[in-house]
Amino acid sequence: MSFNVLIVDDSKSVRSVIKKIITISGFRMDQCYEAANGKQALEILSKEWVDVILSDLNMPEMNGLEMLAAIKADIHLQKIPIIIISTESSDERRNAVLEMGAKQFVKKPFSPEYVRKVLYEVIGMEDEKTHERNERDNDGGDF
Amino acid sequence: MKEMKEIMMAAIFDVVEQMFYVFLEPVGDEYADYAMEAAIQFKGDLKGEMSVLVSDGLAKSMVQNLLGLETGQMTKEDIEDCVKEVANMICGNFLGRLDQTRTFALSVPSFSQPPRKAVTDGDACRLYFDSDGESFGAILRLTN
Repeated sequence: MSFNVLIVDDSKSVRSVIKKIITISGFRMDQCYEAANGKQALEILSKEWVDVILSDLNMPEMNGLEMLAAIKADIHLQKIPIIIISTESSDERRNAVLEMGAKQFVKKPFSPEYVRKVLYEVIGMEDEKTHERNERDNDGGDF
Repeated sequence: MKEMKEIMMAAIFDVVEQMFYVFLEPVGDEYADYAMEAAIQFKGDLKGEMSVLVSDGLAKSMVQNLLGLETGQMTKEDIEDCVKEVANMICGNFLGRLDQTRTFALSVPSFSQPPRKAVTDGDACRLYFDSDGESFGAILRLTN
């Protein structure tokens, strides 16, 4: 099974880095859509199905909080898991975002390992690298 | 102000080392020859602006390290986008370290090449660094 992913960030560089992390992590990605703000993201969501959204908060035109509220208010979109990746990481902001229905909150700067871990958790799949490691460990072999 | 500088320095190291694989050495108070500036405003219990100043070579190194692009492959937009993101991350990281319980509203970063002349004016917390002969600076200005 492979997944469609939507990355929302006004920084093209950050979108590229997140895409690269997802690709390198071995995550089975089918389509990767990119949007520079919440408005563009909603336009994509009106036409395409995505399995998970990774989004920044601080963006022009429509920010991540506004986008999150719009998605959660839409019966067709509200079940799509959303991971917020942001520099705005106060306890208050983090709690507000999670209460609004985001599945996870990742603080920038982020490590590739952490983004990968969160992505697999949110999708509800075992990370293949962890799976391989567990298989190895369960073989009883000495390393 | 000393505590503010220490928090700012920790935020800068955290961002540039973890995300851009750049290592900085603090230098004196002298303003170097910076090629560009990204600035971001914040509002909340504290209000102000964080400016990040970068030499051309360091900006290109950061793009190269972040995106894996060689100098010939990168565009002006890649450089601008990358330097703006550095400012965004440093400002957010700094404010989080300053007080994790307070929420601040951040502006969308702006970009100036060359840096605005006024960036060095007035009272501000200034930190300057060297990275293999290239220059990096950060200026924090609080307003009422």
